[in-house]
Amino acid sequence: MALLPIRFERRLTYTRTAAILTTILAILLAFGAVAILFIILGLDVAAAFQTILNVFITPRLFFQAVVRGVPITLAALGLAIAFRMNFWNIGAEGQIYMGAFASTGIVLAHIYYGFLPEVLVLPTMFLTAFLAGGAWCLLPAVLKAKLNVNEILTTLMMNFIAILWVAYLIYGPWRDPEGFGFPLSIPFPDYAKFLFIAGNQAYTGFTITLIVAALIYLLFRYGKLGFELTVIGQSLDAARYAGINIAKAIVLGAFLSGGLAGIGGLSILSGIIGRLRPDLSPGYGYTAIIVSFLAALNPWLIVPAGIFFGGLFTAGEALQATLKIPGAAVEMFQSIIFIFIIFGEFLKRYRIVVGGGGSGG
Amino acid sequence: MSESPLVLMKDIVKRFPGVLANDHVTFELRRGEVHALLGENGAGKTTLMNILYGLYKPDSGEIYVKGRKANIRSPRDAIRLGIGMVHQHFRLIPTHTVTENIILGLKEAGFVINYKKMNEEIKRLAESYGWKINPDARMWQLSAGEKQQVEILKALYRKAEILILDEPTSVLTPQETRALFRAVRRMAEEGKGVIFITHKLEEVMEVSDRVTVMRKGRVVVTKNTRDTNPQELANYMVGRPVIFEIEKKELQPGDPVAVIKDLYAMSDKGVLALKGVNLEVRRNEILGLAGVTGNGQVELVEVITGLRKAVKGRVIIDGKDVTNRSPREIMELGVAYIPPETLRWGVVPSLRVVDNLFLKAYRYPPFSKSAVIDWKKVYEKAEELIREFEIITPSPFVKTRTLSGGNIQRLILARELSGIIGGGVPKLIVAAYPTKGLDVGATEFVLKTLVKYRDMGSGVLLVSEDLEEILRVSDRVAVIFDGKIMGVFKSSEADIEEIGLLMAGVKEKAKAG
Ligand SMILES: Nc1ncnc2c1ncn2[C@@H]1O[C@H](COP(=O)(O)OP(=O)(O)O)[C@@H](O)[C@H]1O
Ligand SMILES: [Mg+2]
Repeated sequence: MALLPIRFERRLTYTRTAAILTTILAILLAFGAVAILFIILGLDVAAAFQTILNVFITPRLFFQAVVRGVPITLAALGLAIAFRMNFWNIGAEGQIYMGAFASTGIVLAHIYYGFLPEVLVLPTMFLTAFLAGGAWCLLPAVLKAKLNVNEILTTLMMNFIAILWVAYLIYGPWRDPEGFGFPLSIPFPDYAKFLFIAGNQAYTGFTITLIVAALIYLLFRYGKLGFELTVIGQSLDAARYAGINIAKAIVLGAFLSGGLAGIGGLSILSGIIGRLRPDLSPGYGYTAIIVSFLAALNPWLIVPAGIFFGGLFTAGEALQATLKIPGAAVEMFQSIIFIFIIFGEFLKRYRIVVGGGGSGG
Repeated sequence: MSESPLVLMKDIVKRFPGVLANDHVTFELRRGEVHALLGENGAGKTTLMNILYGLYKPDSGEIYVKGRKANIRSPRDAIRLGIGMVHQHFRLIPTHTVTENIILGLKEAGFVINYKKMNEEIKRLAESYGWKINPDARMWQLSAGEKQQVEILKALYRKAEILILDEPTSVLTPQETRALFRAVRRMAEEGKGVIFITHKLEEVMEVSDRVTVMRKGRVVVTKNTRDTNPQELANYMVGRPVIFEIEKKELQPGDPVAVIKDLYAMSDKGVLALKGVNLEVRRNEILGLAGVTGNGQVELVEVITGLRKAVKGRVIIDGKDVTNRSPREIMELGVAYIPPETLRWGVVPSLRVVDNLFLKAYRYPPFSKSAVIDWKKVYEKAEELIREFEIITPSPFVKTRTLSGGNIQRLILARELSGIIGGGVPKLIVAAYPTKGLDVGATEFVLKTLVKYRDMGSGVLLVSEDLEEILRVSDRVAVIFDGKIMGVFKSSEADIEEIGLLMAGVKEKAKAG
């Protein structure tokens, strides 16, 4: 019953080479489209591309890319767990906010009540950020496991609640009393920042992403839970038949997924902006979805993919700063690249069939 | 000159990867007849009709419509030739109204649509078949029976003279079924031709003028319905007499390993599928469960294995009441399960052979310790199982979907029977349609394996549509019809005629009447 003579047919297989070529082609086409956008806007295309390229070849800017890539990568690693079990967590953004909220809570509590030795503040922040992000994913997971409520809607709605909750705190009780009324928390002391560990926030963040990537690799390579999540993702019926406790596995997997996004939230505060702000994430949680798929849910590929997207955010700022490109154009630049990559991912899974009828054979 | 038939399909061949779905099929539909197309699942009925409707292109063969050679390349061509098809699964748009669905894609509707006029026409058309339908109702508001009526109306509104109904009663209540039969008879009276696909014998007897029986892609016979009977049709459908002998030890059956008492359960559609089943499977015996598909067999095995809840009654395995326990608890008691629809339940096609071999055993020692799987032990055991169960695969690491059906079934046997799950020989083996779709060699392997484990002490519940197969390997045969056990016989004393009648539910009717 096609209204257009075009159908999408699910692919049963695609080769690895074809997948890699599709991704590369999508990225090239994306930059082609971006070039056209710049021409239409009357910008100096060569200079713009030079600015983008600089991000990836100048050490100072590349550190910026890594720093921005860290929260994206952490959230994307978490999403890889969820997506492997076919749990469509699109709530990483909210889980990031909850992680940020919880880590700020620890910092403020320490500043006002001083209940911890300074060296333990950052570890405690990690723990609470993880728990808060995980908890934020728990409700959708329980609803899905027990009542089969669609997690796409619930995780998305939880985003808005988390973002508004942080906004409430920062415009209200958590506002810095000496901040001239700006919606900012008290700046984090050094012992609550990544600088405290390695003296360079990019090194610290990058090391954390590598550790998390390794843990996820091990989870799926050797863990019973990883095996169960894979079976659930590939065939719920077979999982039931195999006697896997599906509800338990989904809840656990979702908790890990949200927890890692929560640590992503911590890494924004401790690794980039150094305090709580209502606009702490420019959509890292959504970008993480693309990163996760672009890397085919492979933890080792998620790390470079996350840094690449961190670089795009850095490039966006550089374009705005050096070429005075309007903010809206920068957002279009990023959106175009996202759309091409998403379309490439779609083509890996579906083929387009033009014309009606089918031979079936 | 005699009038040419509405449809003549000649020597149709259609091959899918690995199956010959239609093997030189010839089929004829005359004006004014209801022609039943009977056959087991997988016999090739839907494929044949999809070819007539232009959804598939035949590999060879010719189609004539009203005496003219037709080249049907798409449903559009089929509709132009007056062919309408109602699929096994509906294809209507839930948020559209009845009228919108009916005129969707209709050229004559033009740009300006006179809904009032069309509503009127559709209402009148429906009434002429005894149906009451509100043309303004939205599809999601309708019952399954009403949706089907809309599908049929859609075809009739396009002036279809050749109407294909693919297993139309599978979604209907008995009342809706009767209404459908009346409408179908009426269409035949008007001179249309109706092709009625089914695997239920009574329906053939009740509604059709002629019947064509298909088995394994071939036409077995075409007969006038009044010249045949359910029992003969069952024979055509199920197959010819025994060819192979399977060696079986003479054994005295032991204590019951499974006792099923007054069991009631619902189907997925929410109607009662089991209506008080009583059954006993003993050590060292194979109990065959014979019956036409869809009489409660799948529900029964699912309740036994913990995949479906019983609403009443009890399942006792090895002396323990396991009614409504989890699949895992039941498997750990020593219940092996070879599920129907292998690719859906039995394996995860996208995972490796070794993953599927250990789909259940990964969690038990020595294959895992606390939270970690010991893949080295798993790989070693997998190699051994592949050898022992003669699974033909390039390696344990290829995707399971690349294996043939027979090898996938061997994989499942290896997983369920080899003792990697509970250790030792399974107490009860529940095998649901274990040979369906398999070639002769694989069928033999499966049956011999079941007999071997029966000899080693397992009790086996073998569900099959193939009566001949059941009689070959079972010690006793139970017949199921409409969620009830109609009778249990010793295989050696079983009377095929009587079993055939029980399978068709005929005997009960005779008793009642
Ligand atoms: N699109 C398809 N691709 C591959 N195999 C198919 C396809 N459609 C049907 N088959 C196979 O062809 C055989 C006949 O199927 P079908 O015509 O649906 O049988 P029936 O309608 O009699 O139950 C089965 O073995 C089925 O698995
Ligand atoms: Mg069919």
